[in-house]
Amino acid sequence: MPQLGNLALAIALILAVYSIVANIYGARRGAPDFVVSARHAIWAMCAMVTIAVVVLWTALLRSDFSLEYVAAYSSTTLPTVYKITSLWGGQQGSLLFWTWLLSIFTSIAAFQNRRRNPDIAPYALAVLAGVAIFFLLMLNFVTRPFDLLATVPAEGSDLNPLLQNYWMAIHPPSLYTGYVSATVPFAFGAAALITGKLDDGWIRSTRRWAIFSWFFLTLGNMFGARWAYEVLGWGGYWAWDPVENAAFMPWLVMTAYLHSVMIQERKDMLKVWNLSLIGLAFGLTLFGTFITRSGVISSVHSFTQSGLGPYFLSFLITVTLAYTALLIFRSKDLRSPAEFESYLSREAAFLFNNLMLVGIAFAVFWGTIFPVLSEAVRGVKITVGPPFFNRVNGPLALGLVFLMGIGPLIAWRRTTTSNLVRSFAAPVVIGVATGIVAAAAGLRQWYVLTAFSLAAFVLGTVLVEFRRGMNARRHMVSEPRAKALVNLVAKNNRRYGGYIIHIGTIVAFVGIVGSSFFRTEVKKSVHVGESFMIGSYTLRFQGLDETDTPHLESATARVQVLNADGREITVMSPAKLFYKRPQQPATKVAIRSTPASDLYVVLAGIDDSGQTATFEVFLTPLVFWLWAGGLMMVLGTVIVMWPNVRERAAIATALSRSSAGARELGDLGAPGGD
Amino acid sequence: MRIRPRFFIGGGLIVLAIGYLIFSSIRTTSEYYLTVPEVAARQSVLGGQAIRVAGRVKPGNIAWDPNSLTLKFEIVPIPDVDDAGAPVKPVAATDPVSFRVVAAGEPKPDMFAPGRDVIVEGKLSPDGAIAATQVMTSCPSKYKPKQAQ
Repeated sequence: MPQLGNLALAIALILAVYSIVANIYGARRGAPDFVVSARHAIWAMCAMVTIAVVVLWTALLRSDFSLEYVAAYSSTTLPTVYKITSLWGGQQGSLLFWTWLLSIFTSIAAFQNRRRNPDIAPYALAVLAGVAIFFLLMLNFVTRPFDLLATVPAEGSDLNPLLQNYWMAIHPPSLYTGYVSATVPFAFGAAALITGKLDDGWIRSTRRWAIFSWFFLTLGNMFGARWAYEVLGWGGYWAWDPVENAAFMPWLVMTAYLHSVMIQERKDMLKVWNLSLIGLAFGLTLFGTFITRSGVISSVHSFTQSGLGPYFLSFLITVTLAYTALLIFRSKDLRSPAEFESYLSREAAFLFNNLMLVGIAFAVFWGTIFPVLSEAVRGVKITVGPPFFNRVNGPLALGLVFLMGIGPLIAWRRTTTSNLVRSFAAPVVIGVATGIVAAAAGLRQWYVLTAFSLAAFVLGTVLVEFRRGMNARRHMVSEPRAKALVNLVAKNNRRYGGYIIHIGTIVAFVGIVGSSFFRTEVKKSVHVGESFMIGSYTLRFQGLDETDTPHLESATARVQVLNADGREITVMSPAKLFYKRPQQPATKVAIRSTPASDLYVVLAGIDDSGQTATFEVFLTPLVFWLWAGGLMMVLGTVIVMWPNVRERAAIATALSRSSAGARELGDLGAPGGD
Repeated sequence: MRIRPRFFIGGGLIVLAIGYLIFSSIRTTSEYYLTVPEVAARQSVLGGQAIRVAGRVKPGNIAWDPNSLTLKFEIVPIPDVDDAGAPVKPVAATDPVSFRVVAAGEPKPDMFAPGRDVIVEGKLSPDGAIAATQVMTSCPSKYKPKQAQ
């Protein structure tokens, strides 16, 4: 069986090389047969990688420890679901999984473009195949998933217990999906540069891919944060660790890209900027893999340090140089006839929002690589921890939130004063009122007051937008309010879905600010029967329950929670676990989540008698809203991506009439291609 | 793409502000990230400076008081390993360079154990011990099996 996996990966590599040659030859010589043949080669490559994945999954499920990978990341006692997730639990497997996703996405792109974009699609597919070749070379020659062990062990060494968690089961695939799908818009951007077809065709053709990628990057970051919160037991969800930063930077750049492409579609501006952003987003996905695999930057998560680093770095440098050279080569053709007219315009708001997002990404990048830089320059490693990232990104986040309120309401090109007053009077009142109420309620930190006021301001602008749209509908078709609202969103899903994402972002932002500024912490060792307080809660340690299974030993504390009136609210059960193979302790956090605050109880230690336990308890206000906001962002993105049948029909009709008409429809927020 | 000069002013101001934020924050939040031998070499100049030290927990002399949440132990250099993964220089109980670490007010990390690699955050106190605000164990997100046993 393992030989089948190796064979499949070797054939996949050959097919990828062939598809590049055939695509480019076919496109240059105008030989459609070769382009068709290249497409078939891509599908065959995908089939080969799929075979390799199935072989590895089969080996994992059958606990075939003759494979080094299976012996290293699985065991007979591992629950089936984690045998499946072990596919991406280790390095070789995660690279195979990555390659699999890439080959699937390449195949889908090949299918979508079998009749569309005959000019640039062959080159885009060639770029995608080129990226696949890099990963297939790694899998075939550098980090092989199907290597055998000389002596077959009776038992595997199991998956790290910290990874045996449902969030960890879904976090890596989400992140990888987000990472890998960013390759598609990048490839089309590169193809536009190669061919010189520099209109917005490449953007329109890959808009759904970009949103898809952003969606999964959002999910991946949220799942990772949630995992850290539930599993790691330090009461927080984000530590600005290099590994987290590696996932956050592409998200920031993709966010900037999704906004700035709107300016290009609308105004034919920022071509160089958009091409640079998508190149940067792709580069950052490679960079993320590089820093987590190379050991160059020390992280609390010490991933397998392997020889992969230099390969990834070489590939990253090659891609960056080639892409930059293309941009310079085409720079003359990328000039835009249009220009910015006024600060008070949506273009300007979007441009500044882009600067903020890229600025945050740069600050995160700088902080992440600073130890390496300082060591190279000054000979001593200097690290910057969470205080650095919070100090830099805190103010930038405020600026970004402010622009989030301005951007959607301000007019394109330029805005008149009366227009400004009409649009922003109500939101400004809402924002200022919120600030006053918050200050009256006793909040004194200027950052929190500003953040809450701005958040309310942005929510106000979105409300104004919804009300405007709803009233317009009610005028036109006289619908009842609720129906008008639903139809408004359904018929303009891209626009109003976007607003829902904005609401979600603001809600999550409020959660982040609240949980960062108002978290309280109590650490206490208590005997059975003793109690202690945090906030208005009283926690009483009632005793320990111990269990012992073949997989793990556990000690669970019973902690009674009383409210200010002395009435029992709940009994919480934080636990200490001890996994038997590999021998490793772990902590099971107990969380009681309410919209106002989370009570987060960690059993930090127990003494041998079982009579004394050490607790670490966090009371974190508003953290609930981070997750709620994340859910709203997900909902909004689904609405944005939802296929809008009526609009498509309208576009098709318009297209058959005149291409200018289609352009206008596109301006109304219709998805002009996917 | 033509952007009027005043947009360069607006954009330039934002870029400058971001640059200033990064520059000033680096200065105030940086910590030296050192290995145990480096701490020994720079001992005289590190007083009061925030440091992060990567080292290995020395077996023996580990004291954990759950009542005051105080963890005391010693760290020694993490040995270099050769290509086969075997330590070039094993950690001996009598390793010459070591530092006492006193971490008060923090629960003992789960993965804390003799021989584990840890990152200690804190300051060098006048008596030569590291007063730690945080002790982090390197958590092996992904295991590299030495040889599957």
